Amino acid sequence: MKKKYTVIDTPVHNIDGIAKVTGRAKYTFDVTLPNMLHGKILRSPHPHAKILNIDTSKAEALNGVKAVVTGKDTLGVKQGIWRRYKELCDEEILARSKVRYIGEPVAAVAAVDEDTAEEALDLIEVEYELLQGVFEPLEAIKEGAPQLHEHAERNINVTRHIEWGDVEKGFKKADYVREDWFRCSSQAHVCMETHGAVASFIPEGKLTVWTSTQSHYYIQVLLAGVLDLKENDIRVISRYTGGGFGSKFELDSAQFCSSLLSMKLCKPVKIILTREEEFMATKRRTPMFYYVRAGVKKDGTFLAKEARVFTEGGAYTAMGATALYLTGFFQTFPYVWPSYRYDGYRVYTNTAPTSAMRGFGAPQATFTAETQIDLIADELGIDPIEIRRKNGMYPGYEVPGQAYIQSCGLSQCLDKIEDWVKSRGKLPPNRGIGIAAYGFMSGGIFNWFDTPYAFSSALVQVNIDGKVDLYIGSQDMGQGSNTTMAMICAEELGVHVEDIRLHMGDTDKCPVDLGAWGSRETLMQGNAVKRAAAEAKRQIMEFAVAKMAPNIVYDLDIKDRWVHLIARPERGLSYYDVVKEAIRGKDGQPIIARGHYTPHRKGMISPAYSFGVQAVEAEVEPETGKITLKHCATAHDCGQVINPLGVKGQLEGAIAMAAGYGFTEDLPMDEGKILNPNLVDYKLLRATEMPETEVVEVETYEPEGPFGAKEAGEGLTNPTAGALSNAVYHATGVSIKDLPITPEKVLEALREKNEKKEK
Amino acid sequence: MIRDFNYLRASTVKEALDLLEQHKDDYKIICGGQSLLILMRQGLVAPEYLIDIKNIKGLNTINFDRKNGLRIGATTTHRAVEKSPLIKKHYSVLLDMEENLASIQTRNWGTVGGNLAHGDPAGDPGPVFIALNAAVKMANKERERTLPLEEFFIDYFETALEEGELLLEVQMPIPPPKTATVYEKFNIIKNELGIVSVAASITLDENGLSCKDARVVLGAAAPTPKRAKKAEQMLVGQTLDEKLLDKVSEKASQEADPIADIHATEAYRRSMVKALAGKMVKKAWEQAKTSA
Amino acid sequence: MKKTLLNITVNDETFELYIKPKKLLVEVLRDELGLTGTKRGCNTGACGACTVLLNGVTVKSCSVLAVQAEGAEVTTVEHLADGAKLSALQLSFLDQGAYQCGFCTSGMLMSATALLNEEPKPTREDIKEGIHGNICRCTGYNSIIRAIEAVAEGKYREKR
Repeated sequence: MKKKYTVIDTPVHNIDGIAKVTGRAKYTFDVTLPNMLHGKILRSPHPHAKILNIDTSKAEALNGVKAVVTGKDTLGVKQGIWRRYKELCDEEILARSKVRYIGEPVAAVAAVDEDTAEEALDLIEVEYELLQGVFEPLEAIKEGAPQLHEHAERNINVTRHIEWGDVEKGFKKADYVREDWFRCSSQAHVCMETHGAVASFIPEGKLTVWTSTQSHYYIQVLLAGVLDLKENDIRVISRYTGGGFGSKFELDSAQFCSSLLSMKLCKPVKIILTREEEFMATKRRTPMFYYVRAGVKKDGTFLAKEARVFTEGGAYTAMGATALYLTGFFQTFPYVWPSYRYDGYRVYTNTAPTSAMRGFGAPQATFTAETQIDLIADELGIDPIEIRRKNGMYPGYEVPGQAYIQSCGLSQCLDKIEDWVKSRGKLPPNRGIGIAAYGFMSGGIFNWFDTPYAFSSALVQVNIDGKVDLYIGSQDMGQGSNTTMAMICAEELGVHVEDIRLHMGDTDKCPVDLGAWGSRETLMQGNAVKRAAAEAKRQIMEFAVAKMAPNIVYDLDIKDRWVHLIARPERGLSYYDVVKEAIRGKDGQPIIARGHYTPHRKGMISPAYSFGVQAVEAEVEPETGKITLKHCATAHDCGQVINPLGVKGQLEGAIAMAAGYGFTEDLPMDEGKILNPNLVDYKLLRATEMPETEVVEVETYEPEGPFGAKEAGEGLTNPTAGALSNAVYHATGVSIKDLPITPEKVLEALREKNEKKEK
Repeated sequence: MIRDFNYLRASTVKEALDLLEQHKDDYKIICGGQSLLILMRQGLVAPEYLIDIKNIKGLNTINFDRKNGLRIGATTTHRAVEKSPLIKKHYSVLLDMEENLASIQTRNWGTVGGNLAHGDPAGDPGPVFIALNAAVKMANKERERTLPLEEFFIDYFETALEEGELLLEVQMPIPPPKTATVYEKFNIIKNELGIVSVAASITLDENGLSCKDARVVLGAAAPTPKRAKKAEQMLVGQTLDEKLLDKVSEKASQEADPIADIHATEAYRRSMVKALAGKMVKKAWEQAKTSA
Repeated sequence: MKKTLLNITVNDETFELYIKPKKLLVEVLRDELGLTGTKRGCNTGACGACTVLLNGVTVKSCSVLAVQAEGAEVTTVEHLADGAKLSALQLSFLDQGAYQCGFCTSGMLMSATALLNEEPKPTREDIKEGIHGNICRCTGYNSIIRAIEAVAEGKYREKR
């Protein structure tokens, strides 16, 4: 079959690849400026305390220390991303009067080197009045529990309600109803590059901040707010970001403190968080206590579902309000539930704030929902694939009042995974295959940030030699959006990826995009790029048409740097020649075009949804409870694949992260103190633990996406924990509803099961 | 932050012992430093003098002969043990142990002596060496002494090494005929520290039927690597069956004295000792039958 | 505290440096020599982002005092390519997309290089073991394993 496209859907080298494999790529961690100072942040050792006094005199007197700042040096702005809702902007970053979690910043030092700055931290005397802390949401919500914020009675930070259909009637009609409680644990993002910033303020009143971020635009705006500068007096630069996963689009302590110090000194200040700070004091995945009740017919038809969630919010709102909404929404995914009621409560606790992390509430929803569906199927004697097929979403389905599903490859994905499961044949003892189906959004429609800009913008300039400058606001943090955007631009314009010179990661040069979160770049920035490239192409075509003078019923196109009649591809002109003529014809101006995208009338959540089904084959050692992953097969509908290498990389990477969530990663705490804030005790999967990965792409065409594309990276974090829990269930007969599924939990459950059997 | 220190490099054992004597009150010995540097970075260790023995000639050797058995110099890297044809031929259990001890980078630079001197009960060489009936040779400026390795470990991160004393080598006798030694650790992520580990050494009578001698050594299950001596005694003179194996492993788990931490509860560690002890004794027994 | 003279060969160039003994090898490479290709991802010798070759074998340069590399030869990621000519592993990493954010890539390439130097025909298990000491949070490792396999299978021999 002749390929429809010349650039997209072809494996190409990542455009940042050579810089990365040669060590030339400069991250924030690598930035050094002349006269640069080094900063360190003093953090609260207490989970809940009033700050009575901070004495910085001894620290300031230390040789080599240039400045110390505390909350008193700030404007005391309570900031947050939910700028439309004042009460949800609740974090000062440098606490002025009260600390609410262990690790909350209370002071920062700039000194000639890191060691001096660290030494100075020991000399800062903070007088605290200790307050009683509360650490569990189900405790914190009780009457009389210590209250973190004056405005939040019973520590309730946000509540969310979603409802459709007649839930009571649905349950009445049900032949079988089951209810389960689940506990979803926390998870650390563990970007290989920790949070960091180099801030440089000059007397002209301009601030430049190099930082590791997922959204230079958000950081620019948020910094402007807390520093009382104009947005455009701040330049944020983020060429390479060493991982994000949801942890790097809020304003962080490195960015804020280095800026404050630099403004005080008019010298560059660099702050890079240590791995320990990264674990203790940056944000993390939201732990959730989940109650799910489901009513179904004997034949497996879903009728009614009710879910209640209490999330451990930690000390501040962060992006937790979004996670609370999305977990409720995705609890029903990817199925048709005729009636549904969700109530979510986000509760403040004296722990590190919980926020966005890859999947954004959906992995928790998918784990609980998919585990329960297998238990229901088992009870009713229905095949796990069959029950999912029976109730799956389909193209054209409307989630009542919430979302409209256009493309949906769920049923094809189920077919492919069914084939894969069959191909595995009869499994040896203690092995099981579990499946989980999922869906995810392709960019959020939410604008709690209250930006007046379009969600995504792009600018294309075609130069005299045919080379193309592409200016984008999206941020590549490793997910490969730079390459994706270059491919979309090259395809639309009919040139090669090598012809694109990309400009990104710099608020001075790039148009606004909201950043790399919520799986928005491919669809939203992609649409903006495609529109800009299309407009540039239209301008080029005007000259081509004039030159070639075809019968006006003929259409022209550019492919492979060849401007031609679509019906007669051999009849054409060199792209280079046409561009030269066009620029000459434009009075010597290069061809410039803009494109932008903002979703309109696309429901409450997202313009498009990805779908997929994953099967995990795992072995459980009965003597120890140890789980070994053997295979992970995924059938995946991300619409039209743009960058095949990128999609596969996203998929395999998501498996490693989501499997870690499923059985090895956790953040145990004692009175708000994280007990494993290092990479020795925090257990990440390594190469030796990775299963074999099989991928089947199910291509659909998404009308809202560029070339029909949808998200392809974040949603893949959703299914694995659920598929794994189902694999353990099918291997052993025990279902673990408490993440992570540790050997100890499995062994204990096996022991209980055997005891019951003996009775 | 690592505190400043004075760095002193020794190129002979004598030089090292002189330096140790000279700075008796405030030194730390560094060889590979794979554990030490972490402690120094956390500020838990901040010596005035750091004495580097990595380049001492003659301390990074592996020797084997039929009379004295195996001698591993203290500064021998884990990787050198792993790659030694001698070890592979005569002490394959050490190869198994080393290959899972840590990442390759750590094995390339970290040393056998450093591992033992660190005194971490979760260290891998301790239990295996004890199962192989190892002794350690130490010296200070005045004298040399040799101590059975099981007496070398005193408590968590505490060894018999005295102020001014340097660990020189680990010695292992030739195993008696019909002997096999095996080792396994239980962990979630390969090569990382064990949640528990068990080494077992079984010597059978000349017919390969009953147990003449047994060593069952537990790692990460007590303040030091620990022999489960009662379990060992239950094996001596017996022939193997499932019932005995069950009793022996139950006994070993009773003899363990584990802690609870974020990686496992005490009860789980005991059940892992039980699971591993049974598995290791059985495996060693089977191998001993066929060994020379 | 006295500074110490360090003689070290890095990427075939010899240097005489005057450093505090507490300086780690990674700090000397990055801060003194400006070789920022070598990264640092943790403080506990766990992540492997700082992996370099020291006398031909891999070490974590955050867990080696620079003074201990006296007289040694160090190779960093900057030395893998010969001018514009990338090494077989670098090419293979590009072809397989064996990196995403790229922060672990330098260390990963050094481990892979050492692995193939020691064992030109590794099994899949050897490869997994060979990069076990390097954490990658992005790729899930399998693309890296494929990249190393491709080089071991000789796919890049002509290109060298």
